[in-house]
Amino acid sequence: MVKSPAVFILAGSLAQSSLEWPKVVDAAKREGKVVLYSALVGAPSTSRITEAFEVKYGIPVETLEARASELLERVRTEQASGRSLGDVSYNGSTATERQMHDSVFVPHGGLSSASRLAAPFTSDGTRLPAFVIHFGILVNTELVKPSEEPRSWKDLLLPRWKGQILADDVHPVGSGSLFFQATYGKLGREFHEKLAAQDPSFTRDPRGSQRRVARGEYPVFLPSSLAAMKELDGLPLKTVVPSEGVVFVLYQTAVFKNAPHPNAARLFMDFLLSDEAQAIYAEDGYGLVVEASQKNTSRPPLLGTSDLATMAEMARLAREIYK
Amino acid sequence: MRAFSLPGLGVGLLILVLAVLTLYPLGMLVYGSLHTTPPGETGDFSLAGYRALATSRNAAVLANTVGISLVKTILSMVLALGLAWIVARTDTPGRRTMEALIAIPFFIPPVLTATAWGMLATPRGGLINLGWTGLTGSSEPLVNIYSYGGVVWHMMQYTTPFLFLLFATAFKSMDPSLEESSRMAGASSWATFRRVTLSLMLPITTSAFILAFVRGVEAFESPMFFGTPARIHVLTTEIYNLIHHDTEPDYQAATALALFVMALLSLLIVWQWRILGSRSFLTVTGRGYQPRVTPLGRWRWFTFGIALAFIFVSVALPIGQLALGSFFKFFGFYRRDMLTLQHYRDVWESRLFFRALSNTLLLGFAGATATMLLGSLAAYVVVRTRLPVRRVLEVLAWLPWMMPGMVLAVGLLWAYALLPGPIALYGTRWALLIAYVTLSLPLAVRTMAGALSRISADLEECSRVHGATFWTTFRRILLSLSWPSFAVGWIFLFFIILRELSASILLYGPGSEVLSVVVMRLWSEGKAEEVSVIALIMLLFVFAFRFLEARIVKSHEVGSW
Repeated sequence: MVKSPAVFILAGSLAQSSLEWPKVVDAAKREGKVVLYSALVGAPSTSRITEAFEVKYGIPVETLEARASELLERVRTEQASGRSLGDVSYNGSTATERQMHDSVFVPHGGLSSASRLAAPFTSDGTRLPAFVIHFGILVNTELVKPSEEPRSWKDLLLPRWKGQILADDVHPVGSGSLFFQATYGKLGREFHEKLAAQDPSFTRDPRGSQRRVARGEYPVFLPSSLAAMKELDGLPLKTVVPSEGVVFVLYQTAVFKNAPHPNAARLFMDFLLSDEAQAIYAEDGYGLVVEASQKNTSRPPLLGTSDLATMAEMARLAREIYK
Repeated sequence: MRAFSLPGLGVGLLILVLAVLTLYPLGMLVYGSLHTTPPGETGDFSLAGYRALATSRNAAVLANTVGISLVKTILSMVLALGLAWIVARTDTPGRRTMEALIAIPFFIPPVLTATAWGMLATPRGGLINLGWTGLTGSSEPLVNIYSYGGVVWHMMQYTTPFLFLLFATAFKSMDPSLEESSRMAGASSWATFRRVTLSLMLPITTSAFILAFVRGVEAFESPMFFGTPARIHVLTTEIYNLIHHDTEPDYQAATALALFVMALLSLLIVWQWRILGSRSFLTVTGRGYQPRVTPLGRWRWFTFGIALAFIFVSVALPIGQLALGSFFKFFGFYRRDMLTLQHYRDVWESRLFFRALSNTLLLGFAGATATMLLGSLAAYVVVRTRLPVRRVLEVLAWLPWMMPGMVLAVGLLWAYALLPGPIALYGTRWALLIAYVTLSLPLAVRTMAGALSRISADLEECSRVHGATFWTTFRRILLSLSWPSFAVGWIFLFFIILRELSASILLYGPGSEVLSVVVMRLWSEGKAEEVSVIALIMLLFVFAFRFLEARIVKSHEVGSW
């Protein structure tokens, strides 16, 4: 296969040491723009960060937003046709893992900020963590007294919650299946069998569900993003962080093969680990991946996340338990 | 029926254009259904996708889908025919204003009406149920939107105004002489309506039935919002799961299922051919006329009440919610301390919104105009000629309507991203325009075929005898006489393009964002209030276009011929 000029540029950059980072910055400025393919649809943090990047480097960022599944097919088709429009992938870790199998990325070639990543977050040379979305239990504060709030995932098995739980559907890929996968490993099958016996009402509209809880249709909803609370400020809602920990999605970035602006892509990925970008994530309620930035923010315990290797089996188990 | 006079080369070109628009993306989907991997990847040919169709679950899902769509189509047809007759053929008070209002729900984004009806009719705390339990003391809710009935009801909010627009236009462009003959021969008003009026409307009612039924089979928002929580599964939610919500997107199974649906739905075209046969439906001739208005006496207040009830439930309630919600911090939380103009400011200050609006208006104007012209030509060949290829043309024009939108969108992505050689349409506005023309072509052809089948060939003959060319005759006779239908079709297409999301999300590029993508972004972020503001702006366009249409149609009044 003939490599495109963009791949040569990136391959060349692999040999660059951190001393050569200014050359990457210059090359990025010459490329003139960067195109971000984001699965985080509608998030205000994305536009705030791209604006900050533009101000700092004078390089405009064009963002294309679509759901993860749409981006998967779009990127696959672009790569198959050799007509790549995107530079940087901005997606959850399982979708990014799937794209790794499709070989749609190239190594980022070393970034000046990669060493700032805090454990357990690391870069494998291609994928770079950017931030974390945490999920807990959403509670209507007018319907649930503080003493009755579910403090742990297991509290949802108490008799008082029977028929009272609104939940994102655990069957299709989404935050519901994330909850199932993350808790199945840690809390076991028995937990889910008892939860299924609580007769939860499933939905596929997480945003609308938060409003339904606020209106008092249901007292609790799970799992609900902690980052959503900023937008819901003023409603009688509270997100409880369960004692076992939150379920989470790690957002990662990577450079697409044949990216038209590979150096600008690297520079943008690097910028996401800056204190400036991480501060924006923190303000919007996301978890951080950079040690220095984490010091001043709350860090809920992490219970678990989804895993591409076990997703099919987990989907089968979910169908078996939640009929 | 007169001999064909569109230049042979023209017909050839027309067939070629339609074939490229429809068969090329559909061909990609056929490939996808027969191949273990999507186009562009190495894999093997297999029938696994089709073999996976034969399950009892799929049979149950198919029965569900057909049942729901049939019920909502029949109910909507009855309601729309009644409403169209009331405003077009009776002396019901305020009928002109009501005509403008009844069509409005069609133009509201379904996610917003779904939210509004969710708030009104949820069994737990919905306003209707709260009122019911408060009044009667009953512990059981009166209505439950999360049910078969809820799915049908929400679908009807779109189908009824859609059909109403088609029927009202047809009622108004009908020569009343046949009805008068029936009355003079002693038939009652009801018998005349049933035997003459409805018979004359057969081309448009059968087309409308097919259009509405097929859309019902392919409807997504209503079953997703109100069916899935009640474990009611339909074909589109199954296809959606296969593509978007399965552990591994299964395009082979999804395309096979969609092609199977398309094959089944195509039988409806054959059904229509059998019903219409070679009967004539001419009602627009060279003689001048005014559509007959039936005086209803005291009954006109009854018909007034029916139309008003529909307007209250389907127009005032949802638009009231939109308007109210747009002025409060949160949709549905109407407290004084939550009053705000922030959502209007946010939309006004959004560069993305204005860029998307400008792209969408450009694509809407260009797409609706190009599709209506192309559709008019195709309809001419289908209706006015006896060429054997007319059936091919008709099937070609129907096919995109028979394919669920989210699957056809994938076919369009594969088609235009994988174009060979230097043709770089993907990511440009051209790719979106071509996709929109493909998606809206069936409606254009059906609208114009219905209109052209009512126009006497004598008028065309006269034009040609006096030396006019085909194009002059087409423009000055056929398009002029079918102008009301052309205008209604144009507005339909404009708003279908405005709302189209499935293909847009896969084909737009940075800089070519369209309004539906912006609405999806806002909705995903939970900003129902800003979506309401955009919906209200869209409704202003609806009012402006309907006003313009009324003015233009009036200046081309059929009866003045």
